[in-house]
Amino acid sequence: MSVATRPASASLRDKHKRAGLPMIALAGQPNMGKSTLFNLLTGLNQHVGNWPGKTVERREGNFSMEGHEYNLVDLPGTYSLTANSPEEVIAREFILRESPDVVVAVVSAANLERSLYLVSELICLPVRLVVALNMMDVAAGEGLIVEPEVLEAALGVPVVPITATKAQGIRELLYIVRKALEGKTAYIPRLPEIRADHSEAYSDVLKLVAAHVPTPYPPDWMALKLLEGDLEVTRTMQSALPAEIWEAVHDILIQHDDAMLAVASGRYEWVGRMVRAAVVRPRLGQISLTERLDRVAAHPIWGLFVLAGILGLVFWLTFTIGAPLQAWLDVVIVGGLSKLAAAALAGAPWWVSGLLVDGIIGGVGSVLTFLPILVIFFAAFGLLEDVGYMARAAYVMDNLMHLMGLHGKSFLPLFLGFGCNVPSIMGTRVIDSWPARLLTILIAPLVPCTARMAVVAFLAPAFFGANALWVTWGLVLFSLITLVALGTVLNRVLFKGERSAFIMEMPLYHIPNWRTVGLLVWQRVISFVKKAGTVILVVSAVIWALSVLPGGEIETSYLAQFGKFLEPVGRLMGFDWRLTVALLTTFPAKENAIATLGVLYGGANESGLAVALTQSFSTATAISFLAVTMLFVPCLATVAVIKQETNSWRWTLANIAMFLVISIVAGIVIYNTATWIGL
Amino acid sequence: MLETLMNQIRAGGPLDAAKLAVQLNTSPQMVEAMLEHLRQMGFLRAYESGSCSDACQACSLKGFCDPNKKRSTIQIWRYDEH
Repeated sequence: MSVATRPASASLRDKHKRAGLPMIALAGQPNMGKSTLFNLLTGLNQHVGNWPGKTVERREGNFSMEGHEYNLVDLPGTYSLTANSPEEVIAREFILRESPDVVVAVVSAANLERSLYLVSELICLPVRLVVALNMMDVAAGEGLIVEPEVLEAALGVPVVPITATKAQGIRELLYIVRKALEGKTAYIPRLPEIRADHSEAYSDVLKLVAAHVPTPYPPDWMALKLLEGDLEVTRTMQSALPAEIWEAVHDILIQHDDAMLAVASGRYEWVGRMVRAAVVRPRLGQISLTERLDRVAAHPIWGLFVLAGILGLVFWLTFTIGAPLQAWLDVVIVGGLSKLAAAALAGAPWWVSGLLVDGIIGGVGSVLTFLPILVIFFAAFGLLEDVGYMARAAYVMDNLMHLMGLHGKSFLPLFLGFGCNVPSIMGTRVIDSWPARLLTILIAPLVPCTARMAVVAFLAPAFFGANALWVTWGLVLFSLITLVALGTVLNRVLFKGERSAFIMEMPLYHIPNWRTVGLLVWQRVISFVKKAGTVILVVSAVIWALSVLPGGEIETSYLAQFGKFLEPVGRLMGFDWRLTVALLTTFPAKENAIATLGVLYGGANESGLAVALTQSFSTATAISFLAVTMLFVPCLATVAVIKQETNSWRWTLANIAMFLVISIVAGIVIYNTATWIGL
Repeated sequence: MLETLMNQIRAGGPLDAAKLAVQLNTSPQMVEAMLEHLRQMGFLRAYESGSCSDACQACSLKGFCDPNKKRSTIQIWRYDEH
């Protein structure tokens, strides 16, 4: 290894050696309780510095037991001894160069699968190893039965169960360390084996390098690290070997370029054997419940039906409970508040009364009336998230998309779009290829976000009554079909030849924590109310002002003039100027569609906005408006993030133009088809 | 075992860690450890979604992509081969 990585701890070590102190090194992966054990043993008798030439913290101290003093070095936390990080280089260099008298490997009894990997490397080094089996209490709490004596027999090195946080087993550990120092413990380590088809290569490399390995590195370890592709070892041996021998070694390494995985695989098989021998993992009821539920919920076909059923249930709850509540709030609260405000402001200037009653109460009030709908949405999704179902939803959707040929890389960002298009577009950063990422960004707003769904959930029952559920379903399906069609093209054209996989570690199903769900709903409701009090309030006030200026008549207002200017396009989709304006105001925030309709129609009917809308439009217009709302230009926040992620006004404006065209064309087709069939 | 896992991953598509554990005749914890190891080796990357803090206030999936909420969300690893 290079000289630069050599820990210059020689002076300290020499000092301890002069003092005759045995040196003990603590090794372990991060978060295995190594530092807790170090602090427990050394107390205040420790000093902290940096490893020479590194910014990695070095901790060293002394402790006494039964009249004997020991020097203890806390090695940096490392996952393995391959030169992946400065910590790993420091740890292995220290062990190989400073030759501590005993290395105590601290492993977690609760996660032996992960923590024994380092032991599989340490056990191959020329040091006395003692395994401190920490976190026995955590393992017991998780229902694991870990048998230290079985693990000891399997490893062939001493194993001592401890719980460092409770100072349990420390005396026993020190006793074994003392015995190890005196050479009085059995030490017959069982080493991991390299796979048969690579063992010959290993022998060949070892033969070639053995005579040239610099001190103090063990030749067999260096040969193994060469096969693993360890960069530090490769550099060291390249400079240590004569050119012709290096070429021969290099040829073997090229032929066995998969040895990196084979060596690690051999170690995992060794870890697996140790775990199988020493750990009894009782089948928890919760696990088997998860498995049973996942046979259906995560099934490629049945899982889709479950997902469809759950979404249907959410819509049904929304329309059955949320919509009547919304109507009640609209008529009783907003209507009552409007009358009260109008009476209270009878003597005030017309614009004060108008702004408050028609603008703010009509606009913001209408938006706030769909809080019950949103609460059901938030609660349903929060509940599904908390019980662990959303992970399954993502999995079955990914499965479906994969079957359709849609690339996994673009699916996950798109899935997040069901919540909000902003993180969805930011999530496209996982896509390395720029054309593919750009196209995913451009189609991401096709995924109906919560805000859009809430607008549809508000309007669908008003327009379609008992059929609202099917119409909403149809609209979601319509958006998704458009998305899949575009996504499939994207996959065929831009992801051609690329392979990608997503591996999901899904959580166990949990009984929902109602407090967590309640808190989540509360936080989202508060956020929504804040939004209503800012963006939606401003838009409502502006819409009201434009609807009364200059003469106080809505039909001659600036807003009407603007709406009528655009009405010819709106007419193609069945919209009058009011609906056209309502659609345009969804740009700052999707909920503004309701606010604008509230301002423009709210005062027209005492039965509330929903009834006013039903009386004003045909079914063909209603369905066209909902479809166009689903496909219309993304909201301002989404457009801003598209600009940020593409760093191009050209693509941002192209995206706006694309959705404008798609939504208008869809509106025209749907309106004319619906009219043609007599809706 | 690690090679078999890597071959499964290389085949592409969505994979469930629990099912992989069954296929490899090992525990989900072992698969989790191997996935972490493959990440350390540079074969896999932990999926990073967009920042949920930037999401719309009405986002119903807010928190879904928060890696600190492992109790109820998925840990996603990605593998890409060109």
